[in-house]
Amino acid sequence: MNRQQIETLLPLLANGTLEGAERDEVEAAVAEDADLRAELEALRAIRTTMQSEETYSPGEMGLARLMRDVGEQPASAEPAMKTVIRTRIWQAVAAVLLVMVVGQYAFQMPGDTTEDGYSLASGDEAGRVSIAFVPDATEEQIRSLLLQAGVEIVAGPSAIGFYDLQLLEGVTPEQVYGILDNSEIVDTLNFPED
Amino acid sequence: MDAHAQLLTQVAHGDKQALAALYRALEKPVYRFIHSRLNDPFESSDVLHDVFMEVWRSASRFEGRSKVQTWIFGIAYRKVIDLHRKRVQQDVTDDIPEQEDDSPDAATCLAAGQEAEHVRHCLGTLKDDHRSAISLAFYEDMTYAEIAEVQGVPEGTIKTRVFHAKKLLLRCLSGRIDRRVPA
Repeated sequence: MNRQQIETLLPLLANGTLEGAERDEVEAAVAEDADLRAELEALRAIRTTMQSEETYSPGEMGLARLMRDVGEQPASAEPAMKTVIRTRIWQAVAAVLLVMVVGQYAFQMPGDTTEDGYSLASGDEAGRVSIAFVPDATEEQIRSLLLQAGVEIVAGPSAIGFYDLQLLEGVTPEQVYGILDNSEIVDTLNFPED
Repeated sequence: MDAHAQLLTQVAHGDKQALAALYRALEKPVYRFIHSRLNDPFESSDVLHDVFMEVWRSASRFEGRSKVQTWIFGIAYRKVIDLHRKRVQQDVTDDIPEQEDDSPDAATCLAAGQEAEHVRHCLGTLKDDHRSAISLAFYEDMTYAEIAEVQGVPEGTIKTRVFHAKKLLLRCLSGRIDRRVPA
């Protein structure tokens, strides 16, 4: 384990969740290094301070409000099958679109890429994929769409709500276009043309 | 099956008392997590309400692949992001901004010797993703795997977020301490 890996695990040593061989290794490193000991002490102090803060939550008032509103709505969930079916249809349509767009679009990577997969600010603006979502789109819907399309947000939102996207490894521009362009939660999609 | 999972199963069958028990068990930590990100007690109360309404509606969709607590924190995490999105205020990039602690009330906090104020202030300088990760690690004592479950990202991303967040937090705190002692 190198020093950065040790430092990465210090918060878990501070909160008591680090276990087994990792814990032994981090503790051994801390015992030999005064800087690591100081950082661990600081993290423990931060944790103690955070946990000792009084929280004034809604308590019984919030529960009363919840029980009132729950009384107006049945405890029902949309069947999981509905999501599955929709995904299959969606995937089928996306596959059709994929065939249609092959050869029409080429994707340019947005500038240099760091080891973490995020683009640098000096990336080529013209080659960027940017996207805006409909106002009612939830984070869960957006995250699900981005995961399905194989892209990640690297910048945004802009003042008018655009996010810059980058393809994950092994994903083709055609696949991404097919999925994003067909989504109901995408308001605007700017895809670079070759 | 743990106690929370048992309660959630009952909630899925329309048991309001089970929902009330689950609320009493988790309301405080979930509210604290929401409030740490919004810093507004009224908005935080509304989001907490929305979270448990979602629990009521979605309990039958819980698949048991994570702890109930992690699942509910995940709902809270997404509700706050939705709120941020509606305001178009959230910065969802994962780059690390160079931040300086130039809060006008820093001197007041330091004079009062209120450590909690310092920590709260410095947490407030972090981006939402980073603040959430630190909050879950230190308020709720979650592992990186659990935090990743809540935020819906790979564990490696959480390691990176916490690593940078703690650096920024320590830098901010040491900056405030340095300014307390005039040269």
